[in-house]
Amino acid sequence: MTTATPASAIAIRRRRTPATPYLLLLPAVLILLVGLGYPVYWQVVTSLQQYGMMQQFGAPPTFAGLDNYARIFSDDRLWAVVGRSIVFCLVNAFLTVAIGLGLALLMKAVHSAVRITMQVVLLLAWATPLVAAVTVFRWLFDYRSGVVNWLLVQIGLDQYQGYAWLAQPLTFFLVATLVIVWMSVPFVAMSLYAGLTQVSEEVLEAARLDGASPRQILRHILLPLVRPVLAIVLLLQIIWDLRVFAQIRLLQDGGAPVSETNLLGNFIYELGIGSQDFSGAAAVSIFVLLLTVLLAAPYVRSLMKEDAA
Amino acid sequence: MKRTRVVATGVATSLTLALALAACAPADEGGSGDTGGTPEAGDITLWLAGSDTSDELRQYLVDTFAEENPGSTLTIEEQDWTDLVTKLTTALPDAANTPDVVEIGNTQAPTFTYAGAFREISPELYEELGGDKLLQSFVEAGSIDDTKYALPYYYGSRYMFYRKDIWTKAGLEVPKTLEEFGDSVKKLQSKKQSGFAIGGQDWRNGISWVFANGGELAVKDGDQWTSTLSDPNTVKGLEQWQDVFEGASNLPPTAKDEAYWDFLNDGTDGEAPDGATIMAPGWARWSLGDMTKNDKGEEVRDGMADDSKFDIFALPGVDGGVAPVFAGGSNMAVSAKSQHPELADNLLRIIYSDEYQTMLAKAGLGPANSDFDKLMTVDEDGNPNKFGEVTVETAQASKLTPAAPGWAAVEGALVYEELFQKIAEGGDVTAIAKEYDAKLTPMLNGQAG
Repeated sequence: MTTATPASAIAIRRRRTPATPYLLLLPAVLILLVGLGYPVYWQVVTSLQQYGMMQQFGAPPTFAGLDNYARIFSDDRLWAVVGRSIVFCLVNAFLTVAIGLGLALLMKAVHSAVRITMQVVLLLAWATPLVAAVTVFRWLFDYRSGVVNWLLVQIGLDQYQGYAWLAQPLTFFLVATLVIVWMSVPFVAMSLYAGLTQVSEEVLEAARLDGASPRQILRHILLPLVRPVLAIVLLLQIIWDLRVFAQIRLLQDGGAPVSETNLLGNFIYELGIGSQDFSGAAAVSIFVLLLTVLLAAPYVRSLMKEDAA
Repeated sequence: MKRTRVVATGVATSLTLALALAACAPADEGGSGDTGGTPEAGDITLWLAGSDTSDELRQYLVDTFAEENPGSTLTIEEQDWTDLVTKLTTALPDAANTPDVVEIGNTQAPTFTYAGAFREISPELYEELGGDKLLQSFVEAGSIDDTKYALPYYYGSRYMFYRKDIWTKAGLEVPKTLEEFGDSVKKLQSKKQSGFAIGGQDWRNGISWVFANGGELAVKDGDQWTSTLSDPNTVKGLEQWQDVFEGASNLPPTAKDEAYWDFLNDGTDGEAPDGATIMAPGWARWSLGDMTKNDKGEEVRDGMADDSKFDIFALPGVDGGVAPVFAGGSNMAVSAKSQHPELADNLLRIIYSDEYQTMLAKAGLGPANSDFDKLMTVDEDGNPNKFGEVTVETAQASKLTPAAPGWAAVEGALVYEELFQKIAEGGDVTAIAKEYDAKLTPMLNGQAG
C-alpha cells in the first residue's frame, strides 16, 4: 500500500472516508441537538436562575447558583414524591413483567387458535389511546355509577356502596397500577413470547426425557435462555414507569388527594405549570434526568456488552 | 411558520419605526397617521375563554369592529378554561404571537397584572368605558393601586337550586339564616340522598361560609399579603362548612366542583334524585328539570319549568339576608405586547358600549356596567325573571378571592382543594388553618412554595 502511486493513494483515501455516511448522520444529529440539546441547555440554565412569572414577562432573570437545588432538596415534599415514585415504578415494572411472562408461557402452551385470539386482544389493549383507557378505568371505579362498586354490592359487600376508590392514596394507586399494568403487559408478553419461540424444541425435549418437571424447565432452561430479553424489557419498563405522568394526572382530575398522589412528573408539572416556579421545576427535572440515567445505566451497559460479543 | 413570524415582527417593527419617524417629521407624504385618531389598519385577535360568550355576541363584535375600523378585522379564538393560564403564560410575552385582547378568569387576573402582562388602561379611557359604574371588585382584581390594567367582562354568581317537592314533603321552607340552611339540609340527608350535594374539594362554593361569617382568606398589609385562615371568623366559617358537609353530603371529601345537576335531576326511570339541594352558577338551570324535546327534536332538560318541583334561593347570611358568595366571572385586558394597541382600545370601546352590555345582560351574563343589571331581572316579555333577580341579588353581595400576585399559583397547585378536603375529612380546623397559613403566605406574595 505504501508503495502505491500518489494517484491510487488518493483513490484509496477517498474510498476510506466517504462523505455519504456523515451526511446521512447529519439530520439525526441536528434533530437531537435541536430537539434534545436545546431544551436540556435551557433547563440547566433556568435551574441556575431565579425564574418565575416576572421573568417570563421580561424581567431579567438573576443568577441564583445552586439555590434552587438547595431549596428543592431541603423540601420534604420532593423526597416523599421521589420515594413514592421509585416504589410505584418498581412494583409496576415487576408486576408487568411477571404477568407478561405468565401470558407468554400460556401463549406457548395453548392451541394456535387460542393464541391468535390472545394476541389480537393484547394488541387491542396496547393500541387503546391512553386518555381513553384512563377514562374507562375512571368510569369503572366511579363512586356513584361505577360497575366495580355495583358488582361488589351485588355479591353482598354493602360497604362498597358509594365507595370512593380515588379518595385514598392506597386505593388510588391500586387503580393507577391496574391501568398502567393493563396498558403495558401486551408489550412485555409479546416480546417475551418472541423470545420463547427462539428456544429450541430439542433442548426442551431432552430436559423432559431426563425427567425435569415443568417448573424445573422454566427455572433452569427457559428463563436463562430468555434472560437477555427479560432484562431489557424489565429495564425499559422501569424507565417508563418512572416517567408516568398522564395516567396519574387524569385520575387526579377525577377528584383525589393531589399532593399525596403526585409522582415525579406530576410534581414537576405542579411546580412549573401550576405555580409558575419555572426554576424549581427545572431543577427537579435535572434531578429526574440524573435518576433516569442512573436506572438506565445497566440497560445501556448490557446493550454494549451484547454489541461487543 | 417561524419565518412568517420573523417577517411579521420585522414588518411590525419597521411600521412602528415609520410611525415614530412620521410623528417627528413636521410634514410627510400623508400616507399613514395623517389624522390623529385613526389607527393604522390591521388584524387583531381576541381570546375568549370557554363558550360562555355566544355565537351571536361574537358575530356582533366581529361585524361592529370591521364596520367601525375600515380595513381592519377582528379574529376571535376560543381558549379552554383548563389550560388558559398556561397558554397566556407562553403567548402574552411573545410580541409576534400575542393575542391583542384577552379574557381571563377574575381570580387569575391579579397574577398577570402584577407580572406586567397587560397594557395600562389610561384614566381617560377608563372613564369613557364606564368608570365607576364598572363592577368595582373586578376592577380591583385587575389594578395595581390606582392604575387599571384589566376590566370586568362579565360576572356570574352562585345560588342554591333545590327540589321543592322533597323540601315541602319534609315540611321545610326556604331557610332564612345560614344556620337554618345547615339544619334543613342535614334533616334531608339519608344514605341514598344528600341533603346538600357538595364535594369536599369544592372550595369555590365552600368559601361562601367563610365570607358569610365575616372571615377573609388573606389580607394585604403594605406590600405583603398574609393568609388569614386562622382568623377566628374564618375558622368559624370553615367549621360551619365542615359541619354541613359531614352532616348533609354523601360525596367523597375528594370530589371537586362537579356536574351537580346530575344529583338534583330524577334518576333513571323516575328514581329519586341523589341530592335535594345543590349550589351552582346560574347557567346550571339549563341542565336541570324534566326531559323535554327542543325545536330540533333533541332530548333536553326543560330549564326547571315545573316550579313546584325545582326552585332556587340565594344562600342566606348568618343573620338573615344574603350570604356573600364567591363571584365567578372574568376580566378583559389588552396585551402589553400588542402590535395594535389603538385597535385593541377600539375593541374595548365596542365591548363596553351600551349595545353590547345590553346583549350581555339579555344573554344572562352579568354585565360589567351596573347600569345594565336591571335588564337581567326581566325576561323578553318584561315579566320578572327570578333567575336574573337572584343573580343580581347574590352578585351584589358577592366577594372575590384575594387579588394577590401569587393567587394563580395557589389555584394552579390546588392548595385550596387540599385544604378543603382535609377539613371535609373531619380534621381539626384550627390546626389545618395554621398549617395552610404557613404554606399560603409565601405563595400569595409570589414566592416559590
